[in-house]
Amino acid sequence: MPITTPLTQLLGITHPILLAPMDVIAGCRLVKAVSHAGGFGVLGGGYGERAWLERETAKLAGFAAPFGIGFITWSLAKRPELLDIALAAKPSAIMLSFGDPAPFASRIKSAGARLICQVQDEAMARQALDAGADVLIAQGTEAGGHGATRTTVDLVPAIVDLAAGRVPVVAAGGIADGRGLAAMMMLGASGVLLGTRFYASQEADGADEAKRRICAATSGSTVRGIVFDLSRNNVWPAPFTGRCLVNDHARRWIGREVELMQNVAAVAADYAVAREAGNFDIAAVIAGEAVGLIHDIPPAAEIVERIAVEAEQVLAGRRNSIVSAA
Amino acid sequence: MWPDRRLIDLFKTELPIVLAPMAGAMDAELVIAVAEAGGLGSLPSALLSPEKAREQVQIIRQRVRAPLNMNFFCHTPIDLTKEAEARWKQRLTGYYTEHGLDPAAPVNAANRAPFDAAFCEVVEELKPEIVSFHFGLPEPSLLKRVKAAGCLVISSATTVKEAVWLEQHGVDAVIAQGAEAGGHRGMFLTDKISEQPGTFALVPQVADAVKVPVIAAGGIADGRGIAAAFALGASGVQVGSAYLRCPESKISAGGRKALAEAHDDSTVITNVMTGRPARGVQNRLMREAGPISPDAPPFPHAATALAPLKAAAEKQGKVDFTNLWAGQAVALGREVPAAELTRDLAKSALARMKALAG
Repeated sequence: MPITTPLTQLLGITHPILLAPMDVIAGCRLVKAVSHAGGFGVLGGGYGERAWLERETAKLAGFAAPFGIGFITWSLAKRPELLDIALAAKPSAIMLSFGDPAPFASRIKSAGARLICQVQDEAMARQALDAGADVLIAQGTEAGGHGATRTTVDLVPAIVDLAAGRVPVVAAGGIADGRGLAAMMMLGASGVLLGTRFYASQEADGADEAKRRICAATSGSTVRGIVFDLSRNNVWPAPFTGRCLVNDHARRWIGREVELMQNVAAVAADYAVAREAGNFDIAAVIAGEAVGLIHDIPPAAEIVERIAVEAEQVLAGRRNSIVSAA
Repeated sequence: MWPDRRLIDLFKTELPIVLAPMAGAMDAELVIAVAEAGGLGSLPSALLSPEKAREQVQIIRQRVRAPLNMNFFCHTPIDLTKEAEARWKQRLTGYYTEHGLDPAAPVNAANRAPFDAAFCEVVEELKPEIVSFHFGLPEPSLLKRVKAAGCLVISSATTVKEAVWLEQHGVDAVIAQGAEAGGHRGMFLTDKISEQPGTFALVPQVADAVKVPVIAAGGIADGRGIAAAFALGASGVQVGSAYLRCPESKISAGGRKALAEAHDDSTVITNVMTGRPARGVQNRLMREAGPISPDAPPFPHAATALAPLKAAAEKQGKVDFTNLWAGQAVALGREVPAAELTRDLAKSALARMKALAG
């Protein structure tokens, strides 16, 4: 029996497993694979690049399974018209992260889509609920990419208590297997959102070398900070910082951020070249603390299936029975 | 009942709940209360003289029949150079002046000795069922003697690499200490504080990497957290902050007030209190000189020059220089007797597991 939660019921999905809308990585191929497997794919609308969004949403037209489209809220605010392109693709939900969702809520709702808001503390959760969020995602600091400081063990129950059953709460950060889904359900979550685990999947639009590095990484191989944002002249509002794999570039600049800022032109030029060339000794591989649990690059459907089966076993108290669905 | 009995069977306790050894914040009273409720009581012994340790263990043994854990540090002592001492004193001069203290007056050196032959004799004499270490393990000859005395040995890992190292060096269980945990980071193979993983990312990775039972530590202070830790592959949990406000703890009135007012983001990892990274409730010194300062001399020497400041401020009811160690779950601490809290934790964790078992 698949795990049924308020989230699966609300979104009409089989498994309470969401794909994180990873900028550039979560394209329509990955979204389709996750949703087709019974999870919920969320397209990585990211900062909002019109051409990319038009191309990817066009390929989602007529896709039958439920899916969502995600945006970085503060960036979307600079190009609000992109929301219309997203809504035209008839997603079940729009996911907004990092910023005030209120200015977009009514357009999303009147288009018949659900509003999913990712939050990093109670104040953001209240803001999202006031804006009419249908789902809250409590993102712990373990998560790859942008986030804040609180960890899942502390943040998830806090947001669950705050939501008080009004909306389902999804946990994000550091989760890559069925044990993580089961654990987050113990904390009161109705589901999980996974980024890094799906990055290392066959359908993710990431470089093979980046995927290989995720598989090779162990716990303590990631770091949260502002070095990679500074290095690509990408200024984020407080309190958000980014987590990525530790590489030569991170080692060189962590703790010397002021010096980096003083030399930003030269650093950014080198960084751009490295990104283009796929040189991940310099360019960051965005990844979370769950990297140590990731050792392979299977199809996304297999990931969904494995997590669902394992979580069910853990919740039922049948331990040490980690089974691959393959 | 408990879905994983490996730790209970190993320790021969009723519950898979370990009281964190919180040096300076507790003594035999808290150990007894937790042990009476079926948890594993841990006596922080690193700051005790052999006489005091003997006395504390005697009190515990008289009042409760239960396994006991004695905890020790095993850091490599680093001598304090004149330059480092002067630099730190210089950094603190303003505070000394403010409190009418003489920076040149002699102070007793901070007493945080690593586990040595003298401590080992105490262990051999008192035979605690379990000995836990922080900052790695003692040298092989001492470790051998502890094991020969019949003690089970456990220690903290903050990364998978440290967990594997501990297992290879013979521990009977590993404490997976996530970044949320209060007190000193147990880190001993790395010094990269910003790369320390959170508890729930670390626990399943450690559980995959070692065969011995894993004890989850950091941010766990209620039944939900315990149930979640088990789902991730832990065989037990270590809980500290939740017990700080219990009547049996040795926290001062000022400290209790600060704990009662603390919330989720009140704690930081700092090195200014002792010289080693540790998480605690943010105080004035951490705010103004840290939380991480290159001027802080190595462990435990940073604490030496702080002692007069701490005493002077505490006289005024202030915790400006007090190391009030606590984890991110500090706000979940309650003012209830420790035995009741222990039973509550177990009961609510089991209820949570049962509710979700479908």
